[in-house]
Amino acid sequence: MTGFHLAADKRTTLEEAVAHVQDGATVALGGGLAARLPMALVRALVRQGTTGLRVVGSAHSIDVDLLVGAGAVAVCEESYVGFEQDLGLAPAFRRGAESGSLVVRESSCVTMLTQLRAAEMGVPFLPVRGLLGTDLPTLHPEWGTVTCPFTGQVLAAVPALAPDVALLHAPIGDAAGNLHLDQPYVLDERFAHASRVVVASVDRLVDTAEVVAAGVTVPAHVVTAVVEAPFGAHPTSCYPGYAYDRPHLAEYVKAAAAGGDAFEAYLDRYVRVDEQTYRDLTGAERLTAWSASDEQWQELFR
Amino acid sequence: MSTQTRTGTQGWSLDEWFVVALARTVADGEVVFHGFASPCAQVAMHVARRTHAPGSMLVEGATYAVNPEPAFVPPTSNDLALHRDAVYRMRFEEFFDAACRGAVDRMFLSGGQIDAYGNTNVTAIGGMPLPKIKLGGGGGGANISATIGALTVWTTRHGSGRTLVEAVDFLTDLGHRTPAGTRAELGHTGGGPQWLVTELGVLDYTADGRARLVATFPDVTVAEVEKATGFALTVADEVGTVAEPTPAELAAVRAVDPLGVRRLEFGPADLARHFGPAA
Repeated sequence: MTGFHLAADKRTTLEEAVAHVQDGATVALGGGLAARLPMALVRALVRQGTTGLRVVGSAHSIDVDLLVGAGAVAVCEESYVGFEQDLGLAPAFRRGAESGSLVVRESSCVTMLTQLRAAEMGVPFLPVRGLLGTDLPTLHPEWGTVTCPFTGQVLAAVPALAPDVALLHAPIGDAAGNLHLDQPYVLDERFAHASRVVVASVDRLVDTAEVVAAGVTVPAHVVTAVVEAPFGAHPTSCYPGYAYDRPHLAEYVKAAAAGGDAFEAYLDRYVRVDEQTYRDLTGAERLTAWSASDEQWQELFR
Repeated sequence: MSTQTRTGTQGWSLDEWFVVALARTVADGEVVFHGFASPCAQVAMHVARRTHAPGSMLVEGATYAVNPEPAFVPPTSNDLALHRDAVYRMRFEEFFDAACRGAVDRMFLSGGQIDAYGNTNVTAIGGMPLPKIKLGGGGGGANISATIGALTVWTTRHGSGRTLVEAVDFLTDLGHRTPAGTRAELGHTGGGPQWLVTELGVLDYTADGRARLVATFPDVTVAEVEKATGFALTVADEVGTVAEPTPAELAAVRAVDPLGVRRLEFGPADLARHFGPAA
């Protein structure tokens, strides 16, 4: 971990923001499952042509799958990648794992949390409950065991993990990078403090006073760059703004499952375009209707 | 997604009964948790709280909300619909710390493969590093299956013959005994699997940690369960029938899950199973 980031104005463009991500970097992706994933940044990473990434996190979906499908990822180290019962297994992630083109070092939520905490605390490792007797350690030669000097208990031990770059998305933030998130924060706070560089996109750039009134979840001094990207988590949700885009996710999963030309066509249509074009094509605006009534909210999931 | 169950006012469907059977594994006063990608468990925890276990504390899957009153259950686990109106939302760290130190009494766990000791595989059919089918992954299960008080394991695919297996291809979450030793030998503090609920019946665990059939659904025979099970099945001296759902339990299932998200876990043949007077 390096020091804090003290610039008063960290606003930048998506292209400059993702230039912080070098080929081969360890990248932490914020959000979880199909909520608040940093998708505008992910799309920009694909446009940048980044390769060889090691992506780390807890439970993820289209962010990791899209990066894998686009050839950006060498190693996946999440606790889950998929679309739950709704849309099933992650097609590109699966294909990569099953063909051997992608190395999956599956992790688990508490393990990832513990490794980030070790980095935050400046210690080389921490003990963690569980793992022993499972097969996850077979995927992680870097994990070990430690004997408690006080009780003699043997526990799994995992090394500190300081991602090179964390990519986070927040509903609002200010020019200095103060971010407000709605719960659940998942691992975003831990990523923000453990990573060397934190790049954030926000649906709306607002005055500091508005972020303070909403509550600062991630403080400016750990944030390196901030970029305004309306609907920047789409097609995943970012409440209170917008819900999950079920039809778009289904369209993505279909294209990713088909692979080849169908996946390339998805990239051409939705990724290799600017974000305004993306928003217009996807009709992301309709997802704000969730708040009108419970009936309209449910309709978005039918 | 279908919004209708195929039941009349008098009857009920297998998916509804299954969720009720899962709900009954929650004891009143327990702190209970489900993971993501678990619609049946998600609905079951709310059914338990609304019926026989009003004093339980429910921690909602991927939102870590305490005792929320969902507007409806959506098909994705990290959604505001699941935690709206919750008085409190735990942080990720706060929930997992509680689970690791033993403050959580019960968790629901499923798996693409489940062995006799309740070890589950949610990582890869065919094992790693080159799987035949890469499954999604286990979330926090590899840690907290070791520490939570008791586990309710479930599957809706017992009848496939491929789910309950002699040995899992990859051991993601801990049952009572692994090839490396028992929970006690491994230093794990949690109690391990207590119940295994399947679309064929209900199993508990013997003192040596193996699944034992104690009840079947009425359209299923013990022989059918044995045939679908890939390990030598222990059968209780008297195998009963899963107790019928009460009107209150059925009403709770239908109220909590108007979109029928629980049905995503079942194959077409099981969705067609119907019971009760209107059958």
